[in-house]
Amino acid sequence: MTVKELQSKLDLNALNEVSDTEVEGAFVSDMLSDVMAGAKAGNVWVTVQTHKNIVAAANLVDVPAIIVVRGKKVPEDTVQVADRVGVTLFSTDLDTFQVAVKLHEAGIKPDA
Amino acid sequence: MVRDKCRHLWNKINLRDGFIVTENCYHCNRTRVYFSYEDVPPKDEYKEGEHYFNYAGSAQSIKFDLECEKCKTVVTFEELMGLMQCANCDESCHLNVLSKICEGQNIWVYAALAYRDGDEIDLPVKSLDILTSHFTSRLRTPGKRILVVPGSLRKSPAICRGEMLRDVGMLSLTPET
Repeated sequence: MTVKELQSKLDLNALNEVSDTEVEGAFVSDMLSDVMAGAKAGNVWVTVQTHKNIVAAANLVDVPAIIVVRGKKVPEDTVQVADRVGVTLFSTDLDTFQVAVKLHEAGIKPDA
Repeated sequence: MVRDKCRHLWNKINLRDGFIVTENCYHCNRTRVYFSYEDVPPKDEYKEGEHYFNYAGSAQSIKFDLECEKCKTVVTFEELMGLMQCANCDESCHLNVLSKICEGQNIWVYAALAYRDGDEIDLPVKSLDILTSHFTSRLRTPGKRILVVPGSLRKSPAICRGEMLRDVGMLSLTPET
């Protein structure tokens, strides 16, 4: 499933250009150190964080898309950095658990 | 640089949680940064030589070593505090110039911020090369690479707007001061 298809299945609001990158797995954490240590390339990252460093962390480990949950407002500078590095930013009013359930229902499996 | 015979494939091992602690001398404004493995970041005030250090902030982060899964060589990074992506705040900064050149080649530059005895240092080239190899090997996007460079490429750490990748002030739209 691509990031674009994921947007459609989860009805996510895109904050910038949506990529065609294939999604493999998901990573749920609100800590950059967690993501840098544990996220895998292709994971979609679910977080409540909105600081622009989430994009720098995602780019470092090849996370193609970030879903910001609970309706948190994403600052414009975060969106600008995401545009520059090619990471797709989504927002949703759902909470982390709801998004995780929907990802699983959409066929996103835990990493082996 | 002479290449090893082993084409290393580096994986993180010995992940340790802790805090990056920043202290300031209220006499001369000298800053020192170190990593604390304690459960709660130390907030002591103390005198060291001519300096009077106060706690100036902390952030959660991790430390790691890298092990080659082929030859089992282990490389430690005790002095590495974190990585930083350029914020493009100064056109004349070498880190900014390098970042912009590399972005056109789908190479993403991160500065390695390292400290010894509280003072900022540059990691040796070999360490930067290993970090570059490790983070690039984790990528899946065709043609994409990560390049880890010395922190001293920044024109001035004091006015650099780049921020180390660490867990502090992330829930606020206003950076922690």
